[in-house]
Amino acid sequence: MTRPGLSHARQLGTLLGLVALSAVLWALTPHFLTVPNLLNVAQQTSINAIVAIGMTFVIISGGIDLSVGSIVALSGVTLGMALQNGQPLPSALALGVGTGVMCGLLNGALVSWGRLPPFIVTLGMMSIARGAALVATEGRPVSGFDPLFRSVATGQLGGIPNPIFATMAMYLVAHVVLTRTTFGRYVYAIGGNEEATRLSGVSVRLHKTMIYAVSGVTSAVAAVILTARLNSAQPIAGIMYELDAIAATVIGGTSLMGGEGSLSGTLIGALIMGVLRNGLNLLGVSSFLQQIVIGAVIIFAVLIDTVLKRHRN
Amino acid sequence: MQKLIVVVVALLAASLPACNRPAPGTGRPKVALVLKTLNHPFFVDMRRGAQEAADRLGVQLEVQAAEREIDVEKQMQIVENMIQTGISALAITPSGSREIISALVKARDAKVPIIIVDTRLDEKAAADARVHAETFVGSDNYEGGKLAGGYLVKATNGKARVAILEGIPGHETGDSRLRGFRDAVSEAPAITIVASQPANWERDQGFNVFQNMLQAHPDINAVFAASDLMALGAIEAIAAAGKTGKIRVVGFDALDDAKKAIAAGTMDASVAQFPAEMGKIAIESAVKAMRGEKLPLDIVVKLAMVTKDSLAKP
Repeated sequence: MTRPGLSHARQLGTLLGLVALSAVLWALTPHFLTVPNLLNVAQQTSINAIVAIGMTFVIISGGIDLSVGSIVALSGVTLGMALQNGQPLPSALALGVGTGVMCGLLNGALVSWGRLPPFIVTLGMMSIARGAALVATEGRPVSGFDPLFRSVATGQLGGIPNPIFATMAMYLVAHVVLTRTTFGRYVYAIGGNEEATRLSGVSVRLHKTMIYAVSGVTSAVAAVILTARLNSAQPIAGIMYELDAIAATVIGGTSLMGGEGSLSGTLIGALIMGVLRNGLNLLGVSSFLQQIVIGAVIIFAVLIDTVLKRHRN
Repeated sequence: MQKLIVVVVALLAASLPACNRPAPGTGRPKVALVLKTLNHPFFVDMRRGAQEAADRLGVQLEVQAAEREIDVEKQMQIVENMIQTGISALAITPSGSREIISALVKARDAKVPIIIVDTRLDEKAAADARVHAETFVGSDNYEGGKLAGGYLVKATNGKARVAILEGIPGHETGDSRLRGFRDAVSEAPAITIVASQPANWERDQGFNVFQNMLQAHPDINAVFAASDLMALGAIEAIAAAGKTGKIRVVGFDALDDAKKAIAAGTMDASVAQFPAEMGKIAIESAVKAMRGEKLPLDIVVKLAMVTKDSLAKP
């Protein structure tokens, strides 16, 4: 189980990192700390932040999900094709999200009942879901949707774009599930000590399957927002999203060893990545150098974490 | 934790020399050039041409690109972020002809004139969103495809079994090249297109896809690739099959590597575009648009066929 004291200190650290980064950008460019730009960052972060919710569940349970980016693509094209075939919005959304759930369930079932390593299962799913998206669309983007659907991403309420509300709602629900429900406790327990959890009478297989299904759901929700934002469902969408989501999760203090982590940390982690990308754009840093900076921040965030932990022990 | 802060600060400080921020008060207008990617010689050349024009015209040029050519979501983010920096004009090579339009709506709302370069917008989607570009600067990819097709018809005396390596499906650039090529070869009844598959603009996929095509159709004696990188991949596949010189290869872009291959005789021809010229005209047009000058709807940049003969000429 997670130790609350340590995890709070860790989260505070990550938050301070975000604040420090923002302060630096504020000092370097007058364009950073403006309301439109901050809304921009929040909106640009929303897709990665939502995918990272499921990733956090999976990583806390000691697993990994490499298939999230491909599930984003497959759910997106399922949704897009349903809309194009004249399905009403609710049933198209259900089809899109259902596709994500199915992929997640399949991942989970293979990991639990098939006793296969999550890395292998989700690596396979990454290829299968991508291939399925390409087959379904013959490789072409699906576009031309009802303006009502587009408002999912382009609409706003009180000046705040809808994706930001969606992200906040998803985090709120997921946070409650992870910290206030039996299922949530089992997520930590499985990651902490799977054998002990099984011996205490918990159906580890069932819960693991559900954990991967959660990841399927969050990828599918991200797909809805992405499809609305691009006004097009692309079978090649979401490439490398798994790495962005893993990065947000580990920057946020979730341990790749499992058993430890928090969604608030992951949200801050996703924001750090978003602020960093935005800031480097504003500063006109070349896209090649940006990749070096982002990679270095990921490594250093986790390095500091490890050093602190060793120090405490 | 303080260490993390120090590290972040240090990293940002380290990245500062690479930022081309204006000294405060210079007040040079800023023009953004958003490319598909910078890991392709075509776009690197385009940036060079744009930079020369920007220096000459006294505007500050900000060049940004996504890490991957197909990442239109990242490109949208870049456009949104650039608008925040108060750019006076935006020149862009869209990664998605329809998808990028949502970002261009924001540029329109910020009253930033838009110059479209190299890849056209989807006309209907642009009209629906009421996005208006000042001009389009680019080569006519359809004419380029026709040029390549016409060359192949002549070189084979109108008799060949042709394979086509396509770019990423749904990209206007590649689709136009293919349409042009098909229209040109359709005039020669003895030319048959035996296979046409996407290799997604990439060299390694060009190799694999063409190798597979050769397995399925050993009688292929000509290949048209919608870009040189794919053509260069195909050349390797041809060499691996021991068929160098027996299969005519026509590419597109006239990259340096392709010119070398043409000089060496492993490749027949390539359609040359002039990306540096495109970059130059894009920035000149952006500056004109900033001044409120009216621009023509289309600015066509020339194309040329590069062959062994043309390379031999000074």
